[in-house]
Amino acid sequence: MKKLLLGLALSTLVGSGAAIAADVRIGTEGAYAPWNFLDDNGDLAGYEIELGNEMCKRAGVSCEFVVNEWDSIIPNLIAGNYDIIMAGMSVTDERKETINFSAEYYPPDPSKYVGAKGLEVDFDNLKGLKIGAQGATIQAAYVESNLADGNTILTYETPDQSVADLMAGNIDLLLADNSFLAPVVDGSSGAISFVGPDVSIGGGVAMGMRKEDTDLAAKMNAALESMKADGTVDKLIMEFFEAGPFFEN
Amino acid sequence: MLDSLSAWLALNIGEQASSWFDYFTNGKHLAWYASVRFTLLAAVFGALLAVVFGVLGAAARRAGFAPLRWLGLGYTTMVRGIPDVLVFLFFPLAFEQTVEWFMSRRLCSAEELATAVNWPPCSAAQWYLSTTEYLIMACVSLGIVYGAFAANVVHGAMNSVPKGQLEAARAYGFSSRQIFWNFQVRQMWVYALPGLSNVWMLLLKATSFLSLLQIADIVQWADRLGAPNYSSRVGLVHPDWRWKYYFVLFLFYILLAILSERVFAWLQRRASRGLALHGEH
Amino acid sequence: MDWLLDNALVQDIIELARPSLFNIYFALASIPIGFPLAVLLAVMKNSSNGIISRVARIYIYAFRGSPLFIQFFMFYSIMLAFNLSHWKPMGIAHIVMHPLFIGPMVLILNTSAYAAEIFYGALRTLPKGEVEAAMAFGMNRRQIFRTVTWPNMIRLAWPAYTNEVVFLFHATALVYFTLPVINGQKDIMNKAGELFERDYNIFLHFGVAGLYFLVISMFIFFVSGRIYKRLMRHIGTDPTTRLKLAPNYMR
Repeated sequence: MKKLLLGLALSTLVGSGAAIAADVRIGTEGAYAPWNFLDDNGDLAGYEIELGNEMCKRAGVSCEFVVNEWDSIIPNLIAGNYDIIMAGMSVTDERKETINFSAEYYPPDPSKYVGAKGLEVDFDNLKGLKIGAQGATIQAAYVESNLADGNTILTYETPDQSVADLMAGNIDLLLADNSFLAPVVDGSSGAISFVGPDVSIGGGVAMGMRKEDTDLAAKMNAALESMKADGTVDKLIMEFFEAGPFFEN
Repeated sequence: MLDSLSAWLALNIGEQASSWFDYFTNGKHLAWYASVRFTLLAAVFGALLAVVFGVLGAAARRAGFAPLRWLGLGYTTMVRGIPDVLVFLFFPLAFEQTVEWFMSRRLCSAEELATAVNWPPCSAAQWYLSTTEYLIMACVSLGIVYGAFAANVVHGAMNSVPKGQLEAARAYGFSSRQIFWNFQVRQMWVYALPGLSNVWMLLLKATSFLSLLQIADIVQWADRLGAPNYSSRVGLVHPDWRWKYYFVLFLFYILLAILSERVFAWLQRRASRGLALHGEH
Repeated sequence: MDWLLDNALVQDIIELARPSLFNIYFALASIPIGFPLAVLLAVMKNSSNGIISRVARIYIYAFRGSPLFIQFFMFYSIMLAFNLSHWKPMGIAHIVMHPLFIGPMVLILNTSAYAAEIFYGALRTLPKGEVEAAMAFGMNRRQIFRTVTWPNMIRLAWPAYTNEVVFLFHATALVYFTLPVINGQKDIMNKAGELFERDYNIFLHFGVAGLYFLVISMFIFFVSGRIYKRLMRHIGTDPTTRLKLAPNYMR
């Protein structure tokens, strides 16, 4: 499938024009710190990059990361632009209808609301608010089905845009993964804070693969299991998220 | 070299100057500066193709064969009714699909062709495009869109070639084809130059669409660099700086416009040497 | 009737009808302010006062010299930067941050520069004799502007201004490439992109999108041609002054 780029989100192949030499190509968003992001050198970095590279090493395959916008990350997997998705993607029943998931490499973690500091709203009865989420995420699905009545829902193509609009007061509340929001709240020097209850939606985070690629799934799962068993996964979680949840094997 | 420059700044001007220097010369920024090449390549090759399409379009418009004439007229009128960005996106996607259609007839099984819901019908027929292919297609797209403008300019310029010259050529026994290509086309450039400079300005601005074709161009990098960052792990912590980066692009394009104006003024002076132009100064 | 509705082409024409209203809205909302602003800028650029003329010159050059695409991105994020400090305290945040406001705002800034250049060109070619005659009648500057400069400028600039309005309409295709979509308010390009992602039929969906732009552009030429005829009626029906549909003017 060829995805049109409508909107602010833009995608690219990092290391443009790279020949398709690697055995396995991994699609990621490249804009979701600390999961996956472009570092100061313009190179991909983050939890999933380290994890993915180590997994490929143990599975004995050569891997290459490809940046793809979030919005079209599943269609482009199916179309064969890459073979694996590692982009902080939670396991959901809906996604399971189109793609296969590996074992989880990040345990289930609740989503959280953030708002401007001092924001007081009645979370039992949210009304008249502008609520944001990244499009095509479990959070977007949640707010669209539970909070659309009486509120304005804004969905963003990239996580950065949602944070920019929250900081600029263009939305009152943002619902996103705790793991993504925690560093943002910490770095905002008090401008925004977590508010309201945790929202438990979706399962843990896992690799997405095409349904027919069962050999690849088995190979990667075995590598992942060995990394979980020797504590490498928990060590990487600690390194990048500075807090749990852990697998604690 | 960048490191030593940074150290020199820290020593002679101050730590702040040095850290800003480091920020503006980090890999992300260098990638941004380097992506200017996509913009310039697309502009230059897009413009060359636009001139080619322009001459062909103008030639078609004065062809003796009526359907060819209609085709030329249809092509040049197209720019009147359809936004450039639509054509810019349409051509690469349509071309890619056409190629994939032919590939799918050869590579996909009959069953896959009949039941497929996705495009292409089977993954073997997927034509994977990298930046290079997209850039080539972007050039062709720009050539098609602005070729229509150029055809108009060229058409008008051909009419400005003094009739006496063409009659003289005819009197010397040149065929009408020879007269067209060797005299009319060759002589019209100087009359076409002001109009073509206008087309170039339009094309230059349209190079900002490259990111729509998945090319990591200056616009895309500006968006990435300006995006707010609150994690020191990612890099410098800063709020939303996008407008600052876009403002730099705004100035960059204005600068390109000023430079282009200078170059065209110089070209015009050169081209009109020894020519008595009526009313063209 | 059913076979007609099942037809993919008819289906697309129906699907894109509502989105096309957004493009029409963006163009229509920009003209009432863009037009007078352009006239003002043209008069400023033509002014004998060096500072006024220079300000207009720089404004026109900047907006004609840079891509509208970038202008959209830039002004959206500038507006966002003022949201907490200005728009919120003033209580107008929900209006001014809306794409239906920012879209026309940027289009106005852009089209006024292009149109100003057209009107300026017309001002430069005004028949000198008429102005001198008006002066000889003892008219003051305001009277001269009203009775001589203004009607002549509009008449001279009309064909090129029509062309600019068509370009402005085409430029509306960029609005939702750059601004967030709220409550499913999509324009032609956005909707065509969405339809394309459903079944990948680029020829159909973009074809119909192009058709919408083509038909509305032709309609603008038609209406403008009628107005032009009225503007020129005292001159008599000279076939050479008819508004041509061929692209004679350049943006």
